[in-house]
Amino acid sequence: MLALKMLLRSWRGGQHSLIFLSLVLAVAVVTSVSLLAERVEKALVAESSAFLAADLVVSSSVAIDPQWLQRAEQQGVSTALTASFASMTFSGDQMHLASIKAVQDSYPLRGAVKRSEIPFATNPADIEAVKSGPLPGELWVDSRLLPLLNIALGDSIDLGDGSFRVSQILVEEPDGAGNFYAFGARILMNWKDLPASGVIQPGSRVSYRLLIASDNPVAFNSYVDWLEQQIDIHDRIITPDEAQASISDTMDKGRRFLLLAGSVGVVLAGIALALASHHFANGQLLQVALFKSWGISASRVRRLYIQQILLLGVIGSVVGLIIGWGFHQLLVTVVREWLPITLPAAGSRPWITGFATGLLCLVGFTLPALWHLPLQSPLAVLRRESLAKPINNLVRGFLAVLTVALLLIWYSGNFYVSLAILLGFALSALASIAVGLALLRLGKTYGHWIGSIWRLALSNLWRRKRSSLIQMVGFSGAIALLMIMVVVRTSLIDEWRWQLAEDAPNHFLINVAAYELDGVKTLVDQRELETAGWYSMVRGRITHLKNRPPAEVVQGDHESLRRELNLSWTRELPEGNSIVQGAWWNPELDTGDLAPVSLEEDLLHELGLALGDTIGFSIGGLAFDAVITSTRSLNWDSMTPNFYFLFPEGYLENYPRTHMTSLHIPAEDKLLVNDLLRQYPTVQVIELDKVIDRIRTIVSQVTRGLEMMTLLILGCGVLVMFAAVSLSMAERLQESAILRTLGSSRRLILGVQWVEFTTLGLMAGLLAALGAELTIAMLQRFMFSMPFSWHSWLWLAGPLGGGLLVGLLGVVYSRRAVTQPPLRVLNSL
Amino acid sequence: MIEVRNISKQVDTSEGTLSILDQVNLNLERGESLAIIGPSGSGKSTLLGILAGLDLPSSGTVSIDGEDITAMDEEGRAAVRAGHVGFVFQSFHLLPGLTALENVALPQELQGIDNGLQTARHYLERVGLGERVSHYPRQLSGGEQQRVALARAFACRPTILFADEPTGNLDTGTGQKINDLLFELNQEEGTTLILVTHEKSLAQRCKRTLQLEAGRQVEPSLDVAS
Repeated sequence: MLALKMLLRSWRGGQHSLIFLSLVLAVAVVTSVSLLAERVEKALVAESSAFLAADLVVSSSVAIDPQWLQRAEQQGVSTALTASFASMTFSGDQMHLASIKAVQDSYPLRGAVKRSEIPFATNPADIEAVKSGPLPGELWVDSRLLPLLNIALGDSIDLGDGSFRVSQILVEEPDGAGNFYAFGARILMNWKDLPASGVIQPGSRVSYRLLIASDNPVAFNSYVDWLEQQIDIHDRIITPDEAQASISDTMDKGRRFLLLAGSVGVVLAGIALALASHHFANGQLLQVALFKSWGISASRVRRLYIQQILLLGVIGSVVGLIIGWGFHQLLVTVVREWLPITLPAAGSRPWITGFATGLLCLVGFTLPALWHLPLQSPLAVLRRESLAKPINNLVRGFLAVLTVALLLIWYSGNFYVSLAILLGFALSALASIAVGLALLRLGKTYGHWIGSIWRLALSNLWRRKRSSLIQMVGFSGAIALLMIMVVVRTSLIDEWRWQLAEDAPNHFLINVAAYELDGVKTLVDQRELETAGWYSMVRGRITHLKNRPPAEVVQGDHESLRRELNLSWTRELPEGNSIVQGAWWNPELDTGDLAPVSLEEDLLHELGLALGDTIGFSIGGLAFDAVITSTRSLNWDSMTPNFYFLFPEGYLENYPRTHMTSLHIPAEDKLLVNDLLRQYPTVQVIELDKVIDRIRTIVSQVTRGLEMMTLLILGCGVLVMFAAVSLSMAERLQESAILRTLGSSRRLILGVQWVEFTTLGLMAGLLAALGAELTIAMLQRFMFSMPFSWHSWLWLAGPLGGGLLVGLLGVVYSRRAVTQPPLRVLNSL
Repeated sequence: MIEVRNISKQVDTSEGTLSILDQVNLNLERGESLAIIGPSGSGKSTLLGILAGLDLPSSGTVSIDGEDITAMDEEGRAAVRAGHVGFVFQSFHLLPGLTALENVALPQELQGIDNGLQTARHYLERVGLGERVSHYPRQLSGGEQQRVALARAFACRPTILFADEPTGNLDTGTGQKINDLLFELNQEEGTTLILVTHEKSLAQRCKRTLQLEAGRQVEPSLDVAS
């Protein structure tokens, strides 16, 4: 096949290298990101199930209807029942109110229970993951129960009417993490022991759960549909997403970043491809004229080039798929640790996406650049000036933008991200052209003041203004996209920093009575631990909104109206809080008899309230009214005490109050919890250390993944730079060779190149900073829900980095002009 | 073989219409050789382009083997070029990514002629480059590159060979050798040769000359070599 033969020959001559590389990179970026995203997506679904120990859970305050189990069995859906309750445990004269969970033999349906034979084990080698709970007659218990009851592993303890042997230390249950309301030491027991122990009596407060899982999605969905008809007011269905809310935000942002990285990669590779194709087409004009002088028809020429480009597309895409697969494997090894399960295999979609990207890129970027080739007049073999004009830049630009838009929307599945990147790029391209032209003119006019090298270089840039502008658009696009990647990556990592911090609070101490406060503080101080500050708390209910019963103001039944709320007071605005509306306590503010209150912004909207509205509270039967003087946004991720309602000092102090704080307790000081609970049995300790450890691992792995992705995108950026530099290289080499023939020094020639490229880079960097700032603002708004912030460093790093990088690249590229004899350079062009 | 009737060529410029060729007439029989001579800008290359079907005259006709190529569309002229015409250019126009052998074989391959490589090798041996078939243009001297171009032109077995200043880029010695080779091959293949040149010595080797001055034929084409 002639097209293949011609392609191989051109390939050997290096004419297709840049097109091929750009294509391979585009496909590789898309494939690796798609493969990883899909596999992680699948794994996350599985992992979410593990968080729940099932694919779905029905939680109920009454015993699960046996009919539900029968139905599940009939439909081939696996089930397990659990019952959680608090009960006293005894050993000798020691006792402890433990948090107990009774589980059926089939528990857990997903994930694994971690157990150990060594109390307080932290070494992974000492911890075993099993897919079962304890046998009848045995208990698996929290390490801290041992010192609390003064027992050793193998001893028996009393629970209800029965005596049970403590056979294993319970390290972690898959569905245990995030259960913030279980305050006692955890105990896992077998479901079959429930009746004999008599721990559950009529009226006992028990949380029942039906765990459901199936590998057959049809059976599973049909059962869930049936189940949804059965549940009533006591029951609640819990999905995997709800179960792992604590990490889903991190994962979600990580995924979005991956998609952003992929999209940026596609755009960069697209620019590289467009520039490389433009360059390639310029080099082909004479060849086509030659073909036509030999009598080859225009249609034949078009066919030949389309065939070659398609072949190149298929080969490049296949190579890109392979490299993309390799890179995704590399990424997988980096992020594997946070997914204890094996990543499921990807389906066909990522491969199709990658391959289609390659072909679409060629159709959108390369074919338009080559379209005019068959129209080349054969007369160019005699007269160089009769070269065919490429199709209109506007048409080509439109096709390129259309291709990028299609790719972005298809790829990111997010209209706003696509729009942000497109608009950012379009604006910076337009600005590049307008401002670039002005800058070039300015340079040409005033360049002679700086010296001969500058004068020559700047007037060269002006003379070649068309290619200078195209290069500037390419450079500024690449620099802007790279800056966007770095900024987004950095701000994400900043946002996650608290999760990565080794000393982030991992325990909450609540319900500390006033008379216990000094004692608890002393205990914490003795261990040299630092708290996030102590807050006083009064429990109260909302009785009125805007002087009316809440039901008249709020549509539906808001959860905050059903329970007692924690009300607190403080003089200073707590860390992580920021005022959205109104003002923080102002001594001159006159609220009359009403207490001023600062309300959390989201709750304000959910309750249909506005600044200045009143809220009626009842605290232990005593009523008082407050007026909303400010609203706050809170950082719920900060692991410090957060309050929906904050009052100034002097309003709540007379009500019965308790105290709370959060603090970091390192693993080696974990026994503090025991000392605390032994001395102050009514204090409640919420242990989040395991959850936080888990989040920290995930975040650090995701961060490493992001770093690698950023590197790959940097590679794309450099390719664009190369493509842009090579664009005008033939002309530059020719001019340099002529200058050398005329006796110009090496210094002058390299100096001119250096000044030309550095100026281009400087200008492009400046324009890139503008484009990047605009795009980042849009991304922050629509994609990452972050507040807008200026990045002053962009305005410095853009021009400086651009000037240095582009200048260096240009000089390295054009060194040939001074290292080879001028005649050889001229002959080779 | 070639019959040219009243060819004129005008182009529009910003300063009005410019006449490049004015009423040129010519008859050339098969196997004859013609040198188009004249000072720079006299319209030599334009005439060559029109004779070869690369360009169209503003008026007048050109017939090759009785077929009026000026009445044809570009596809028709391409077919005529494919069947009849070969070229040698001043700047060789070899494709830099292809070896000498591939450069010579390419036109035949594009025209779907079988055993193009074999023919190419034969003609490269004929021009004395049998040992250098796998060299790239950058590895060859100017004279060698023009010899490859000659091999490429003759390998297609054209009935008419157009040469545009074939030795314009070469030194006198090398140019002389290329000229010798060109005429030898022309003789062997029985090709009609039309060349544009500045060189009197080269023009004198052609059977006929056509002198142009400011687009006008100074005198009817003369039979100088007989």
